[in-house]
Amino acid sequence: MSNQTNESSSGKSSLLGWFDERYPVSSTWNKHVGEYYAPKNFNFWYFFGSLALIVLVNQIVTGIWLTMSYQPSNAEAFNSVEYIMRDVEWGWLLRYLHSTGASAFFIVIYLHMMRALLYGSYKKPRELVWVIGMLLFLVLMGEAFMGYLLPWGQMSFWGAQVIISLFGAIPVIGPDLALWIRGDFVISEVTLNRFFAIHVIAFPLLLVILVFMHLVALHHVGSNNPDGVEIKKLKDDKGIPLDGIRFHPYYSVKDAMGAVFFFILFALVLFYAPEGGGYFIEAPNFEPANPLKTPDHIVPVWYFTPFYAILRAVPDKFLGVVAMGAAVVILFALPWLDRCKVKSIRYRGNSYKVLLTILVISFFVLGFLGTQPSTPLYTKLAQIFTALYFMFFLVLPFTSANEKTKPVPERVT
Amino acid sequence: MKKVLWIASLLLLPLTMNVQAAGGYSIELESANNNIRDQESLKRGAVLFSNYCMACHSLKYMRYNRVARDLGWTDEEVIADMSHGLNSVTEYVMARMEDGVARAVLGSDAPDLSLMARLKGDDYIYTFLRAYHLDDKGEWDNKVLKGTAMPNVLEGIERHASPEEYATVARDITNFLAYAGEPSKVERLDLGWKVIAFLLVLLLLLYLLKREYWRDIKH
Amino acid sequence: MSTEDQTSTDVNLTRRKVLTGATGVVGAIGAGFMAVPFIGSWMPSERAKAAGAPVDADVSQLQPGQMLTVSWRGKPVWVVRRTPEMLKMLAENVTELRDPDSNESDQPDYAKNSFRSVNEEFLVVVGICTHLGCAPLYRPAVGSPDMQEGWKGGFFCPCHGSSFDLAGRVVKSVPAPINLEIPPYHFRTESVIRVGEDPVEGGVA
Repeated sequence: MSNQTNESSSGKSSLLGWFDERYPVSSTWNKHVGEYYAPKNFNFWYFFGSLALIVLVNQIVTGIWLTMSYQPSNAEAFNSVEYIMRDVEWGWLLRYLHSTGASAFFIVIYLHMMRALLYGSYKKPRELVWVIGMLLFLVLMGEAFMGYLLPWGQMSFWGAQVIISLFGAIPVIGPDLALWIRGDFVISEVTLNRFFAIHVIAFPLLLVILVFMHLVALHHVGSNNPDGVEIKKLKDDKGIPLDGIRFHPYYSVKDAMGAVFFFILFALVLFYAPEGGGYFIEAPNFEPANPLKTPDHIVPVWYFTPFYAILRAVPDKFLGVVAMGAAVVILFALPWLDRCKVKSIRYRGNSYKVLLTILVISFFVLGFLGTQPSTPLYTKLAQIFTALYFMFFLVLPFTSANEKTKPVPERVT
Repeated sequence: MKKVLWIASLLLLPLTMNVQAAGGYSIELESANNNIRDQESLKRGAVLFSNYCMACHSLKYMRYNRVARDLGWTDEEVIADMSHGLNSVTEYVMARMEDGVARAVLGSDAPDLSLMARLKGDDYIYTFLRAYHLDDKGEWDNKVLKGTAMPNVLEGIERHASPEEYATVARDITNFLAYAGEPSKVERLDLGWKVIAFLLVLLLLLYLLKREYWRDIKH
Repeated sequence: MSTEDQTSTDVNLTRRKVLTGATGVVGAIGAGFMAVPFIGSWMPSERAKAAGAPVDADVSQLQPGQMLTVSWRGKPVWVVRRTPEMLKMLAENVTELRDPDSNESDQPDYAKNSFRSVNEEFLVVVGICTHLGCAPLYRPAVGSPDMQEGWKGGFFCPCHGSSFDLAGRVVKSVPAPINLEIPPYHFRTESVIRVGEDPVEGGVA
């Protein structure tokens, strides 16, 4: 009983030693934090992974607290949000943390994905990191969509009405599928209840599991970096990558700094523009849901508008749905569409730079068009930029196969 | 760092553009220039609201005691000034008319005004209150909301007041409704800069700490 | 040689420790502030406070011996108009009571007397048994038929058999430990009792 002396010889405090014999505390910490070696040349773009995690925690914690006062019923949903805003002590802060957090989540995720496009983080051997990340994005979109119904305002109701009707466009099974999702002939309390259940438990659970898998996959293959160099290729005699530095304390401190910088921007919006100029909380949502009166202009929240613009650009209802779905799904295939061996945009040819620029511009323009009422001019523009958006994915396999790249350095710069 | 700031400002840019600007009303909305920190204006607005609006319109999410607390009234004062002694302070500010009477008399329900300022904007309410005019048939109409069922209830004030005085009346009512739309707004604005100041201190410390640790790293 | 090199001479460990400590302290303060809204939001909301606001009980129609119930903060509050016989009984039964002087129970100071009331005619009491929170029954008559022999009038809790006299005082050898709670109250007028609010100074006590 008393001859377990290796505890003291390993220099651990006896309490930690007690746990380590029974649970991999130290080894897990070392594998993922203390001795996780990350490339030393991370730049600005590498903040968004940890920021996404922080925003997820914010959404989960504030979400739990909102659930304590929110009531998912036809009669009380809208009232209970105002009850939170007015009667619950600090309720307004909790609600704005959650609503601002939703938009912040998408800003962070879009920038996080942009980083992958810039530095080829989706390429071999990180295809699964990317695919799991895309699954996260998909679940996040569902989570956000269902969450937006809960305030039970006009935009909540009609936004959901429009999106669920999209499923009706699918041949043969469409109408029944839409009916099945709603559980009623229009959006009703039944729909609200099931969206509530999925928003507060099912999808958050899925998000947490997928984030865990995303990190496991990442830490298995190691982080990419702005030079797109594999740091694991060159190691010192102790087996430590020459260009690697321990995540803790170097990146934990750096990410903490980035997080606080992000908190400041977040606080500026939260306290001084929580409606986000009508983009984060849309004005029509201050009117309770009314199935008999459609708002003049139904707009999804800003983070869906690029895809919404693609939907509207296609003149056929079913094909529009297909195009919108394809705009998201095609991203899954990116690791295989891009055949260039060079990862980072720093050493890639002009063709990729041009294509990526077009993709980003198209995304922004489509995002803007999605917020606007459709006019013939805007529809035309939406069609052009939808074509340009898809062009990236269709042209890339050909241009990337024999791209004129610059020599990639041995080590990070 | 320059790039960081540039991207940050780019991200915040859309917030300065207001979606409501593209409202598409038949006339240009006038700027209300109301100030929710002006308690005297809010009190005048509350009394005007009680006298001219509350016959039909409720503020069903506001309680009298909340109004009193935020506007600097005592419980007794708010009941005397807004409710003519008819309500208890814990009751909601409800219209005096029974449900359905407005529909029978005016052909339309009078909407609850708790969130009207957030739904339509302060300028809309201000302009609306000033946009009543006699149409060709000699009947009251409103330039902002043509054919509105709402009668020109402020006509009496408008007739006996100077344009400036009437503008103040409209602004006070607007101000009170802006307050009612988000009663915790002043608290929010006052808390924000403190949080940000604290975060700036923390950011400075973390910057120094990061720089200190990163001296280990050879480039 | 690895990229990290902590042995180099220009590393100032003291500075590092001080900065880490300072950041830790400020960060912990920040986390403390952050916890405030989450903890604070569990306090009774404005709606709960409004529902828990003082309530008025009009006793002008209450006949001697009758009881009326008002709801205050979701709890039943009983108002009993006691007859002279009942009051007389209260002075006689003290030997059977656990705490006749109400030294251990909850009541405002102005109701800490042998009748446990402001005006001895009216008993105002929270109708929740001090044992495990059941609602006792009002059995005012001496020898009520469904009570045990020798019943002198009072409250009887059907859950575990605790009984209280007509001043809410608990009798000996029952499970309930202390007398029934008396809420703050005062007479707004001669016939209106405001429950949930202490007497206003200079007002009608």
